[in-house]
Amino acid sequence: MNWVIPPLYAGTITKYVFVESYKATPDDIAARAYEVSGEVMIKETCFGLQITGKEEEVERVIAHIREFDPAHIYVKDRGFPPGDPRRCRANLGGARPGYFGHEYEMGFIRRIAVGLERLEESVPVAGDERKKVPEGLPVKRLMELIEQEA
Amino acid sequence: MAKVFIYPATSLILSDLVARFGHKPLGTALSIRERIQTAGLDSPPLQMTPDDAKKGLKWAAVEVPSGVRGRMSLFGPLIDQAEAAIIVNNPDFAFGCMGCARTDELVEFLVKQKNIPILELSYPADEDEGIIFVRKVRDFLTSLGGNS
Amino acid sequence: MKEATVRIAQLSCGPEYSGVQKEIYTAAEAVGAEVFFPDLSLADIRRNFRDFGLDVKSGDLKLAIARAVALVEGAAEADAVFIASCFRCAEAAIVRNELRRYIHEHSKLPVVSYSFTERTTSGTLLTRMEALTTIARRRALLARERQTGLTMGVDSGSSTTKAVIMQDNEIIGTGWRPTTEVLNSSDEVIALALEEAGVKRDDLDAIGTTGYGRFLIGERIGADLIQEELTVNSKGAVFLADCQHGPSTVIDIGGMDNKAISVLDGIPGTFTMGGICAGASGRFLEMTAKRLGVDITELGPLAMKGMGEGVPMNSYCIVFGTQSLVNALAEGHSKEDVAAAACHSVAEQVFEQQLQEIDIKEPVVMVGGTSLIQGLVRAMGNLLQTEIVVPHHSQYIGSVGAALLSSGFVEKN
Repeated sequence: MNWVIPPLYAGTITKYVFVESYKATPDDIAARAYEVSGEVMIKETCFGLQITGKEEEVERVIAHIREFDPAHIYVKDRGFPPGDPRRCRANLGGARPGYFGHEYEMGFIRRIAVGLERLEESVPVAGDERKKVPEGLPVKRLMELIEQEA
Repeated sequence: MAKVFIYPATSLILSDLVARFGHKPLGTALSIRERIQTAGLDSPPLQMTPDDAKKGLKWAAVEVPSGVRGRMSLFGPLIDQAEAAIIVNNPDFAFGCMGCARTDELVEFLVKQKNIPILELSYPADEDEGIIFVRKVRDFLTSLGGNS
Repeated sequence: MKEATVRIAQLSCGPEYSGVQKEIYTAAEAVGAEVFFPDLSLADIRRNFRDFGLDVKSGDLKLAIARAVALVEGAAEADAVFIASCFRCAEAAIVRNELRRYIHEHSKLPVVSYSFTERTTSGTLLTRMEALTTIARRRALLARERQTGLTMGVDSGSSTTKAVIMQDNEIIGTGWRPTTEVLNSSDEVIALALEEAGVKRDDLDAIGTTGYGRFLIGERIGADLIQEELTVNSKGAVFLADCQHGPSTVIDIGGMDNKAISVLDGIPGTFTMGGICAGASGRFLEMTAKRLGVDITELGPLAMKGMGEGVPMNSYCIVFGTQSLVNALAEGHSKEDVAAAACHSVAEQVFEQQLQEIDIKEPVVMVGGTSLIQGLVRAMGNLLQTEIVVPHHSQYIGSVGAALLSSGFVEKN
């Protein structure tokens, strides 16, 4: 393989769009992105999209698709443009390391979605206090335990 | 809009939340993009060269392994720019840029050395914690000002 | 006919960030191999990492462990394994060592481990990659136990060039010269070996070359087999030491670098190559002999008469090693004791830096020119607590291996 690859999309940025929504499939999101795609390049993937183009253009498209289901669409920068052979699974034989990181976070993204959906609720959350455990066993309690066991 | 260093620097969740609440996430994708878009480099896959390990000497001594120094050349400039930071403690599985525990320790230390606002938290273990997580992040980012 | 690509699984932490991943790709490509990363799901990574039981913190090392388990369990397929991590990283060194041992014990995959710096080049990795591909590709050839026909092996080493002519499983001619100009030196040793064997170049059925100059000489003399010295020397060693079946360990302290090879049924399983400094090589012993005013052939017997224990010597670096040599003589230590201390120092360096990277199984066979220095063999035996085997013609090991293996081409020719 020829690894010498000139910068393919110099001056552009690429962003991942992850979709974890019961309202919309990655296909729906892609269709919505194409409505306003303009100059940007859109690549559909199993988890959502990759959008490449000038920064303001990419941000515009992302703002548009986020509206569709804000709490279930997530966006992140990507260093490589889509389909770059240096990062392509077919060439590496296995997934690039970053893939596992996404797989890990997407495994509990539902918890973040709930957090976003219930962001404006003013009621305190039960779990807020729940994790606060005393910083050690008081001597008095320890004595009691020893006496119980004796 | 503040520049917020995120840790893990590859985190989708942190990157998303920081941008969503109106700030600029500083993650390693930015450092990698800079290299990928530099013409004339021939060092696949990340276009990192032995020079990066040498640049890393700014943050780690020569006796530190090359992989740590190379990674520091990605993280260091981001830390230098950072105006705030969000740190998730003990991420369970993080690979690639975050795949070296020694680098991660140094990065966390250097961030804490800077006199910038820092939010430290853990990944949520259930939905209730998810609500707290998002609120804390939102509140922290709001406190940084700007248009969030 | 183009040979099938050998698929080398890479288990690593750090090469991409040290700027040396391309060097790994280049070295592999140069020997017709391709490097790949065994594919796993996150669930597999978690399970394999947990099952292996080495609780490291670095994610990329967890990934390396999980991939190693997948290779051993057959969930991922490869022809060979390359393990690489940063030099000076303790966490990675533990993983590297344990993975190498695990793969060696639980699979037939050839494996080599390497710790790199940002200065590592594809040239440094080439011989290791070549050995991996040779083992994967030429198992049938490496299984050859008898030499047939009339064949010649030429070994172009960094210090000396050797040639051996074999006929019907016997050595019938040898030639030896210090390496000066690679091609001239090989012409000289070939002429010497032919003369001793009483045969002509045209009579030869097949030729094999090995050592640093193998490509240059191989091309010049039209060799049938051009092969790196790791596989060739192991083959030569087990052939001469008559231990072609079962496990053995081959140690070759060379003029420039050292090889330690774990062999099973004549085929290397794991190996290391290198050494930090020439202080841990034959070159240091040559300097010692020169300083003591004796010929290198006299150094061994001299050392056998001495007791090295009382002489402080650390040849971790050839410059400091020479300095302690000078100091020891100035302090009034005898030549014998100094010679013994120099031998012990070299053996200790090899023991500490290289033998820890492979599994030592008896018999331990020492080969190469330095195996003729009895003091060195004794020192190594003491360190390993075993009787070291030094076969006949041990200084011709590469040439014998090349002559033996090239006889696989006799019928074709």
